[in-house]
Amino acid sequence: MITTLLAAVFQLLLVLCISPLISGIIKTLKARLQMRRGPGVLQSYRNLFKLLRKQMVMPDTASWLFDAAPVMVFATAAVVGLLIPMITAQAPLSLFGGVLAVVYLLGLGRFFLALGGLDTGSSFGGLGSSREMTISSLAEPAMMLAIFTVALSANSTNLSEVARSAIGQSWRFLAPSQMLAFAALFIVLIAETGRIPVDNPATHLELTMIHEAMILEYSGPYLALIEWGASIKQLILMTLLINTFYPFGLSTNWSGASLAIGCGTYLLKLLILSTLIVLVETANAKMRLFRVPELLAVAFVLGALALISTFLF
Amino acid sequence: MVLAALLVIPLLAAVAAFVARRRVEMEWINLVAAVLTLTFAVVLAGSTLQSGSVSAWGGLLYADALSALVVLLVSIVYAACAVYAVGYFRDDETNGVFDEDSDGVPAVDRLRKYYSLTPLFVCLMLLVPLSNNLGIMWVAIEGTTLASVFLVTFYGRPNSLEAAWKYAMIGGVGLSMGLFGTVLTYYSASLVMGTETLVGLNWSVLVTKAAQFDKTTMRLAFIFILMGYGTKAGIAPMHTWKPDVYSEAPVPVAAMLAAALLNCALYGLLRFFILTSRCLGPEFASQLLIIFGLLSMAVAVPFILVQKSFRRLLAYSSIDHGGIMVLGLAFGGPLGALGMLLHMTFHSITKPLLFFCAGNVQQHLKTDQFRQAKGGLIHAMPITGAVFLLTTLAVTGSPPFSLFQSEFTILRAAFDGHHILPAVLFVGFLVMIFAGFLIHIARLVLGEDPGTPHAQISDWKKYSLIGLGAVVVILGFWLPAPLFALVQSAARIVREVH
Amino acid sequence: MYFYQDPQFGERMITLMAAFVLVLQIAMVAQRWLVTNIRVFAAQSFLLASIAGTIAYYNHAPHIYIAAAMTFAVKVVFLPILMERLVAKIEIRQEIEPLINVPLSVLISGGLTMVGYVVAESFYHPEAGTTPATLGHNTLAVAISLFLIGFFMMINRRKALTQVLALLSLENGLFLAAISLTYGMPLIVEVGVFFDVLVATMVMGILVYRISETFDSMDVSKLRRLRG
Repeated sequence: MITTLLAAVFQLLLVLCISPLISGIIKTLKARLQMRRGPGVLQSYRNLFKLLRKQMVMPDTASWLFDAAPVMVFATAAVVGLLIPMITAQAPLSLFGGVLAVVYLLGLGRFFLALGGLDTGSSFGGLGSSREMTISSLAEPAMMLAIFTVALSANSTNLSEVARSAIGQSWRFLAPSQMLAFAALFIVLIAETGRIPVDNPATHLELTMIHEAMILEYSGPYLALIEWGASIKQLILMTLLINTFYPFGLSTNWSGASLAIGCGTYLLKLLILSTLIVLVETANAKMRLFRVPELLAVAFVLGALALISTFLF
Repeated sequence: MVLAALLVIPLLAAVAAFVARRRVEMEWINLVAAVLTLTFAVVLAGSTLQSGSVSAWGGLLYADALSALVVLLVSIVYAACAVYAVGYFRDDETNGVFDEDSDGVPAVDRLRKYYSLTPLFVCLMLLVPLSNNLGIMWVAIEGTTLASVFLVTFYGRPNSLEAAWKYAMIGGVGLSMGLFGTVLTYYSASLVMGTETLVGLNWSVLVTKAAQFDKTTMRLAFIFILMGYGTKAGIAPMHTWKPDVYSEAPVPVAAMLAAALLNCALYGLLRFFILTSRCLGPEFASQLLIIFGLLSMAVAVPFILVQKSFRRLLAYSSIDHGGIMVLGLAFGGPLGALGMLLHMTFHSITKPLLFFCAGNVQQHLKTDQFRQAKGGLIHAMPITGAVFLLTTLAVTGSPPFSLFQSEFTILRAAFDGHHILPAVLFVGFLVMIFAGFLIHIARLVLGEDPGTPHAQISDWKKYSLIGLGAVVVILGFWLPAPLFALVQSAARIVREVH
Repeated sequence: MYFYQDPQFGERMITLMAAFVLVLQIAMVAQRWLVTNIRVFAAQSFLLASIAGTIAYYNHAPHIYIAAAMTFAVKVVFLPILMERLVAKIEIRQEIEPLINVPLSVLISGGLTMVGYVVAESFYHPEAGTTPATLGHNTLAVAISLFLIGFFMMINRRKALTQVLALLSLENGLFLAAISLTYGMPLIVEVGVFFDVLVATMVMGILVYRISETFDSMDVSKLRRLRG
């Protein structure tokens, strides 16, 4: 009981602290690849502290949704962080939900964010919301198919079960279903976190924004909450990707040594995945909005193929 | 030795024509090659009648009566077209067809393309019946597609390019399906014979063990083979390339495609049909073939009744005859295979004549549309008009011509096998096609004199028309005994289920 | 023994490569740029050659090495170079909107893959005694899917060169089917088939060039003069 509580607190703190770091690492890596110096890995922390102290400005037409959206985004992301195995194979809140809970909690956050974007009364907010909804309506089935593939091979939708059953088998990740599901989930990761080639997180042009357009009117602490929530979501999706497919190093007991190994391997895997994301971002240009459904259709078909191949391969 | 000669002679002719300088040299090379091929084909037919089968090159080449028949027919068509081509291209040159071409290619170079590709085409066509290995047979048929593509684009017009593209694409896809069927056949054979043997795809070996093949796989294999080789033969619904290609290619090429290549494609189908019926019994393959045969004839009927161009009319007639032959094979029994092979023989001799007449008309009137050709052709072109009408009657199966006998045999086979409905449909389609053909051609040939000037056709064309026409008429009354014996022994090979 | 000598490892690698081949085929359906299409085809053929080589290694069948080498030489090196030169000469770089839009055609390709799996099921004879080819099931499913998706691409695409690529990927599927069912056909047949594929592509390349010159585009839906 106490250990669970401690583990929950520890994982929550980990999630809250590491997510801006990961955002910073990605930005710096991207800058370095583009022969720039970049803002430094700690810049996201500085941004958050600055925003938390700033005055907030709200539109006149805003309703309670405007206040609710940042809180919901942050809260759902943080809760999902407790449902996914990060360092230990047993996620702290694993009793409260598995794969479906993850997907729907993230969906809830996205729903409120879109409503918040609409609530601002500006046309760009509505633009961003409708685009975001289009993309997510195509990305969600792909994500579910990919995750169900993994769940099928573990006979459970509880992510901790999935991770635990995968630790024992070697070479399992070479199976085609795993590779296909990984590819599908990777594309979904890019779509959900708003990276190139789906959306440019550093754009200043409103007409090309998707995620940024929804939060255009937010400022001060609310903006801090939303940005933090977004980086937590990014961390969660990355963790989902690496720990369900490559759960090496996840510790199965509470001894100090295995926890340390778990921590180390987790950070290492995060770094590798960040590099992969940065490479994909640098090598591609942002797609036209109407081409994004094609990419997501490919992700969907990959997910479907992954699911079928668990039965057949 | 005969087998090797049959393949090497056309190949040498192709090379020789490629390096020849003058048109006359090329023409004579082609003619000599054609005559030599025909001689060797007759020799081969004789030796298979005597000794049953001939093989060479360690079993890679193999000829039994069926192969010898197809080889003989291909050689006959080649010889006839070689004679006609001389006159045809000379008339093209006189009419200035080669001058209006914007490439500035002189006539000799264009003719070189024809005279070097045609023997290559014939060599590959001869490889089909002569090869023992089913995979090599496939390679040869695909090779014929590739060799004939540039023959189709001979005139370089946009329409020819379109026709050639459709031919290449549809042929390519169809033959890929045929390759898949071949692979599946090899697979079902390998379950019995193992995969280490080099002779695993040799027909002479496969046919002895066919009864033990895996049944499900053979079923699937035959479906793919039917679609593959059927595309080459022009069986509906894979027939859509035929009208375009036959109307755009030069007449000797079209005649060879219609009469000789059709035989080769049906030969391939026959070999697999034999394997399938030994494995599964004849019902499965027959049912499929009846459907496709009737479909081909049904597709041909409306397009023959309503047709604007006489070149395309010939293509639909070819589709129709392909359907008839497939039906003959499907009806089975002692008369079915015999009817089919007789039909193949007679068709190969009659069809080129039809093409030659149409070619003459097109060259003289410079159009192939019925409306522009008006009527009363017999006044301006007496020989061509008469032969055209005569051949139309022959091709649509009127007595006393030979095709009537083969169609009647097929009909009897249908009733013997209790395929009543297909037989009735068969007769119905034949009647409609006969009517359509006669309406169009009679209107073209007979009637009042429209005043077109008298045609000056080359002597080569005239004599090839008269010669082949005489053969067609004679065949209606008298079939040479050796030829009939050859057809009978070929039919026996198809029929033997044990 | 080393891990790469374990036949289980070989089987896993082959299955993995077959899955990648399938993914590349679907990528070809979704792809717009002609040069990328050609390169995806080259990558797919490279994987096929590797599959053939792996099968040859684990089953001690040296004649498949020759087939693998020919695949590499013809389909990975020679034909893509030929086609890229053709694209450079014609100067048309992009595919136009296909008959069925891209997301739907990708979904249809997924459906065709499932059909391929179902068809391959009927070949799965676990009790078949004498056949040595045990990888039949997985790679055969991929092969049939390749065949069906290539066929679909031929109907769906409008540029002549993409149709040629679709035909070639169809042949890739046949090669894979032959390898997985019967360790390839007798060598002389394989040589003949490769020769055919080579000549066919060259012939079609010339035709494509002439079509683009005559019609000023590679759009085959413009080839509609001959009808009836």
